[in-house]
Amino acid sequence: MMVFYFGFILLVAFRKSLLTMLVSPGLSLGMLLGALVIVAAWVLVWIYVRWANRHYDQSIADLREQL
Amino acid sequence: MTSSLGEPNLIAITGFFLFIALSLGITYVAARRTRDAEHFYTAGRSVTGLQNGFALAGDYMSAASFLGIAGLVALSGFDGLIYSIGFLVGWPIVMFLIAEPLRNLGRFTFSDVVAFRLRQAPVRVAAAVGSLAVVAFYLIAQMVGAGNLIRLLFGLPYELAVIIVGAVMLAYVLFGGMLATTWVQIVKAVLLLLGAFLLAALTLARFDFNPLTLFEAAGDHYGLRVLGPGGLVSDPIDAVSLGLALMLGTAGLPHILMRFYTVPDARTARTSVSYAIAIIGVFYLLTFILGFGAMVIVGQDTIRGVDSGGNMAALLLAAALGGPGFLGFISAVAFATILAVVAGLTLAGAAALSHDLWVNVVRNGVASEQEQLRVARVSSALLGVLAIVLGIVFEGQNVAYMVGLAFAIAASANFPALLLSIFWRRFTTRGAQVSMFTGTAVSLLLIYLSPAIQVDVLGNASPIFPLRNPGIISIPLAFLVAVVVSLVWPEPAAASGFSKLERRVHLGADE
Repeated sequence: MMVFYFGFILLVAFRKSLLTMLVSPGLSLGMLLGALVIVAAWVLVWIYVRWANRHYDQSIADLREQL
Repeated sequence: MTSSLGEPNLIAITGFFLFIALSLGITYVAARRTRDAEHFYTAGRSVTGLQNGFALAGDYMSAASFLGIAGLVALSGFDGLIYSIGFLVGWPIVMFLIAEPLRNLGRFTFSDVVAFRLRQAPVRVAAAVGSLAVVAFYLIAQMVGAGNLIRLLFGLPYELAVIIVGAVMLAYVLFGGMLATTWVQIVKAVLLLLGAFLLAALTLARFDFNPLTLFEAAGDHYGLRVLGPGGLVSDPIDAVSLGLALMLGTAGLPHILMRFYTVPDARTARTSVSYAIAIIGVFYLLTFILGFGAMVIVGQDTIRGVDSGGNMAALLLAAALGGPGFLGFISAVAFATILAVVAGLTLAGAAALSHDLWVNVVRNGVASEQEQLRVARVSSALLGVLAIVLGIVFEGQNVAYMVGLAFAIAASANFPALLLSIFWRRFTTRGAQVSMFTGTAVSLLLIYLSPAIQVDVLGNASPIFPLRNPGIISIPLAFLVAVVVSLVWPEPAAASGFSKLERRVHLGADE
């Protein structure tokens, strides 16, 4: 997540012209990437919750039985 | 369309009083159930994942987000989006690193976690100082937003507006505690989302329901530069500094961290963050549309004419699209937002004062339930008065920018110590103490030396420190001193407590 966001921020800081480039009429690369950072946050969190609910909680339950 | 601003708007006033009546009703019900400190701070740990998700989102989507970001986007286009995106990316960090350990380790405040295996008193004093600094800056932003809003819409004087907001908010916190604050937060989050959706839908209806047509129109009107990075973050280092503060600040905000104690267990904490991220993400995507909508439909000159910070952009858009009735509804939503966030902040500040300072430092952890509750209420009242005073003193500051500073302090003062106390075995009491004091002091000092204070407030020709946001200096520095001090003065007792902490992180308190 930090990589995505910092990639984005560094582009904002040092490659302004690239982000102003238009991908299609009305949509600049910067806005597209910005929206994608939000989507990436959703996807990563969704993957984490799925993993935690299925595997992590199960391991904790097993551990608790052993104790 | 500007003619309806500055004069009393009947629907706004009605909506405002309806919300106050509804929320005081909630407070009345909650007050009867708030019997001890546990209830006052954590709503009896009975909040469900979905409810807490909405409450977290409610705490987060403050006036700065709704009014400030919409205004920034309307006036500077793409640059405003840096704030929207930055405010969201802090959440995965909270999720992956902080939420579940926090729930398993603490009782009321995040300093419970930092102090878990360290010496209580020094850590709690430092944590309380950091928390109060964050709460103060965040409060200023909210109060300034509220004062401006009431003045513009009801035609009331600014000072009176700030006092009204402070008094209503105090009523929620004093009598209803966390339960009332949570429900006020949920109601407000739903209202805010609904309002933003309606506003976005009405905006897009003018552009064939295609956001790209809207952005294209913005580009045609104001040049393609509004779709790319521009003057707001002209200095690259400042852009990185702001980004760092926004991303790490969320995990150090005391009023957000406190919400994880209102749910019954770590799994619910996890669920609530995922709901919160979904809601907040949708909301910030909507701010893209609201901001550009205001830019095109209302026009930048009109927005600037009403408020130079652009804070009224979303309201002007509402007036242009739906007339005074819709403006009234959106204003009532904006009030609800501010009231609820101020209540959450006050509660977090009161927890730092009474739970951390009074009960655990002054009283050495021994205080009756009645005494804890009484101290918490006195602290809330003091903070409420402080909020009113600060709100009046700082009239005219830009709200989104002020919140950016609160994030920088949170990321420097609270986040490093919190993270290291959970994940680093050799972290020590002295390391935590020095890190939190350094983070708070350095970020406050750099803010004082920055262009915002030196040039904008004091009127000096050039600032002593060039960056507007101190994050890039103060956050690494807080980490550095924490590590160096911990390594130079090791604390065997703290290291040996680490296994117990790890066990609690995974298994929770009830093993």
